[in-house]
Amino acid sequence: MNSRPLMLLRLDTSTAQEIGSTPRGARSIFPVAGGSFEGERLRGKVLAGGGDWVTAKGDGTLELDLRVTLETDDGALIHMTFTGVRDDANHYFRTLPRFETAAPQYAFLNRLLAVGIGNIRPEGPVHAIEEIL
Amino acid sequence: MNTRLLMTLRVTVAAPQNIGAVPHGTRRTVPLSGGSFEGPRLRGTVLPGGSADWLLLRADGVLELDLRATLRTDDGALVSMRSFGLRHGPPEVIAAVARGEAVDPATYYFRTTPRFETAHPAYAFLNRLVAVASGDRRPEGPIYTIHEVL
Repeated sequence: MNSRPLMLLRLDTSTAQEIGSTPRGARSIFPVAGGSFEGERLRGKVLAGGGDWVTAKGDGTLELDLRVTLETDDGALIHMTFTGVRDDANHYFRTLPRFETAAPQYAFLNRLLAVGIGNIRPEGPVHAIEEIL
Repeated sequence: MNTRLLMTLRVTVAAPQNIGAVPHGTRRTVPLSGGSFEGPRLRGTVLPGGSADWLLLRADGVLELDLRATLRTDDGALVSMRSFGLRHGPPEVIAAVARGEAVDPATYYFRTTPRFETAHPAYAFLNRLVAVASGDRRPEGPIYTIHEVL
């Protein structure tokens, strides 16, 4: 499959809200306090208020469910979500981002699928997001 | 991004159920009547019943796909697959696809992002991966070439 870089997304998360063990697994919510994104075609900041709803599953993997709002440097708002898998035992951290925007200059985001390669850095998670061509 | 072939999935479709104009767009549900899949690590058939693609044609001309299918491997494991996808392209190409003509899949965008769930230990690796697929809408039903994201 061919892909090309879309953005590097850095998320600042605040203290996790540990919901604990529920019938669906161990739930933690990581509020997103901010962050930034940068790519050839768009750049800007992550607005506070989103989060990643994380479920620890019985097989040792984490299921991710993120929603954030991106604000580009020219003032457009982009609704971004992803689901994904984090499997630390196998060094696998991959996501499937989707985007929605009303800004005409970023309408291409409404028409693409993407894959994110995640990394946990000391300063927070970083996702290298590629558009699926 | 590195990927490797997971499987080629061919599904056959039954008569579509045209729900029509809904607040979000135009909705059509296409039940799957069967199919097969084959890859280096797994192969088998698609079970009819509970397998369908829930389609939504958006106002911007993009078709959203929301497929759910149950796969049965040749050694009897059941695998639940869900995939979200997008399909769009030049109007004349999409019109030809809609008429059931054979169209070069390189002329339009048809990509999906499958996820899998299974209880079978031999296929537990499917629970731990994300995948991307390119689709080819043939008259008899779509063919998906599914790659594991490494």
